[in-house]
Amino acid sequence: MDSNPSIVAKLDAFAAELLADWNIYTTLIAGGIVAFLVFSFVTSKDSDIHPFLLARQSTAFPVRQPGETAQYRSLETPHGFPLRSGLNVKDPGAPRWTSGRKGDLRDIWKAAVRGAVGEDGKGSGKQGKIYTVLGRKAIEHSLEQVTQEINVIGSRLQSSKVNTVAVCLTDSVELLASIFAGAFYGLKTIIIPHNLDADSLSSLLKESGAEALIAEAGALDLSLVAKGNDQLSQVIWVAKLGSRHMDWNDVPEDVKGTLEVRVWHELVEEKKDLTGLDVPSWDPSTPAPSLTTVWPSKSSAGEFIEYQSENLIAGIAGIMFSLPRPQRLNPNDLVLSIDSLSRSYPLCQVMAALYSNASVALNSVAGESVDFALATVGLSPTVIIASSRTMSEYHSKFMKPHSGFVSLFSRWIQVRSLDSGYMPSHGLLNQVANVGPTAELSLDKLRLLCISHRVNAGREAQLDYEQLADLRILTGARVVYALTGPGVAGAVFQTNIFDYRRFQGSSHFGAPLSSVEVVLTGGSGDEAKQEGQITVSGPSVISRKTTLEGRARIRDDNTFELLP
Amino acid sequence: MSTPDEAVPQPAEVMTIATPINLILLSLFVILVYLQLRPKAPVSLPKGPPPVVFRTFTPTTLLPFNGENDAPVYLAVRGRVFDVTPGKNFYGPGGPYENFAGRDASRGLACQSFDEEMLTKDLKGPLDDLKDLDNEQLENLQSWEERFSEKYLVVGKLVAEGDPEAKNA
Repeated sequence: MDSNPSIVAKLDAFAAELLADWNIYTTLIAGGIVAFLVFSFVTSKDSDIHPFLLARQSTAFPVRQPGETAQYRSLETPHGFPLRSGLNVKDPGAPRWTSGRKGDLRDIWKAAVRGAVGEDGKGSGKQGKIYTVLGRKAIEHSLEQVTQEINVIGSRLQSSKVNTVAVCLTDSVELLASIFAGAFYGLKTIIIPHNLDADSLSSLLKESGAEALIAEAGALDLSLVAKGNDQLSQVIWVAKLGSRHMDWNDVPEDVKGTLEVRVWHELVEEKKDLTGLDVPSWDPSTPAPSLTTVWPSKSSAGEFIEYQSENLIAGIAGIMFSLPRPQRLNPNDLVLSIDSLSRSYPLCQVMAALYSNASVALNSVAGESVDFALATVGLSPTVIIASSRTMSEYHSKFMKPHSGFVSLFSRWIQVRSLDSGYMPSHGLLNQVANVGPTAELSLDKLRLLCISHRVNAGREAQLDYEQLADLRILTGARVVYALTGPGVAGAVFQTNIFDYRRFQGSSHFGAPLSSVEVVLTGGSGDEAKQEGQITVSGPSVISRKTTLEGRARIRDDNTFELLP
Repeated sequence: MSTPDEAVPQPAEVMTIATPINLILLSLFVILVYLQLRPKAPVSLPKGPPPVVFRTFTPTTLLPFNGENDAPVYLAVRGRVFDVTPGKNFYGPGGPYENFAGRDASRGLACQSFDEEMLTKDLKGPLDDLKDLDNEQLENLQSWEERFSEKYLVVGKLVAEGDPEAKNA
């Protein structure tokens, strides 16, 4: 009992002695600590997504075949349930409890024209708009006007007994209208990239057996194209705004009689009173015709990939529902595609945007490799669809060289918030950091950047974790990064929109979309090495199953990365 | 213990930052800042169990999977091998269906009988072709099979001993 009071007394004495030294510096330091604690408490934020959801992003089936990995699926569609195969379109008047139809392109256009609808089925009817971006100028088209063009062109081609139509246009409202005209009027549509030389175009046309061609006026030599293409009977020229005064109905002598040449805007002008402004009605039980695109390959001009209507719709649904509800495309969005609609990822994204009643902007220069800065002027989009090549070129040309000391410091701070799982806020710091690289861009409203990588596009186009972090910081937008392959509508994999984690090397591609199931085949059979050729199956895959020419590895968080 | 005279600071005394309390508070500050700013590794979850490899069984190689000594419980229905380990209380040792463990259970399930004589005796012989079953029994078997497919995983297939595929077993 005697020693206890003495220990207490000693402690008391020690504390008193310590506190006796309290001076103005002590007060300052203590104040600093309190201020720091308050500051970090006030500025701390919850991460955008629970970290466990990023730690395991797809599920493996518990049984695997020898020589391949287990089947992997998105978390949205667990094993044992059907993969996502459609948009679940509910017709008005259908009982509430019935499951909807898968839908097709016609439902997408109908939904776009109908306008936005709320949860209760009644809506504001707010329609999206379609813009064609030509340089700095954006031309607005109303959906009624486009419906009219769909009707005129569709009925014209249908009445001339055409079954297959090839469309060779830059990204424009006419290209979109041709796609929907094909869907409504039962024409197989083939989208041919617009920058081909006459020989390869001619051979592609021959291979496809197209009976009608929609192309840009003056971009092609008709007699060259018509040579060897005896099945071709109709040509519709799309004249640019600046060259509409010219007479495009002129036909070269050697093809006169075999080819009927008309001009788009003249046809529309002439027939618009006959066809009306309404979306044509259709029987949902009849399948929509297929849509064919050209997949670029090194050896030839490209191979045809024919997407059946159900492949396309599954791909669109997969892409649409891969985003969590608050992040999905909505009627307030303006979606700008600077990647060509002849590629399935941008095509499916644009269709998803139309179905969600978002406004869509198409850029005439869109393609796999475009100047990001130039292609995004003229509009202030909220969502941009671009290719990995475009973005990696932009990053190496503009973002890297512009980084000074101030932007490095603010990048460091913003990367910290990315690492702790939330997007840095659009604050003053952000403005400072962006002063260099993105000053000339009109990206204030940008919220989402959708980047797709073609499986055979080459290693140099692949983005790494640092580049993706830079893009998030400098544009202030979230990023999804998808891998596309021939024969798979939409994409195979896509990263989680909230996955900001950084690792070494090239970025992974996230988990499979909910419309596909992925197996890596032909691996070493070694349990620990989860790698092999990407084999995709599911409703968005043509002929249900395909093996891509890329090899991939499954990371510990069940995401997929490409192997060199 | 201290006299009041000592508690009053001397006006001539120079204030210094290097007092023990300042040093303690400063190091606390540094530690707090470090804890706040240090790079955090992303969360990782432990890896799940590796998937079971789909196998081809013959009646002989299926036999060891009867649940004894903590082995998994497998049983075969019309050539499909189900992993019924989650239902070990029924299909494992001591359960009402224990005879089926590691065996071809098709006939027993069809006839709703758990007796020994329902099993194919000759493990080296051909598989039970079930040709002599009547419609009701086949229906019975069908509903068992559906229930199994819903509840349990198919981990392999059963072939007869002499089958060309048996080489992979």
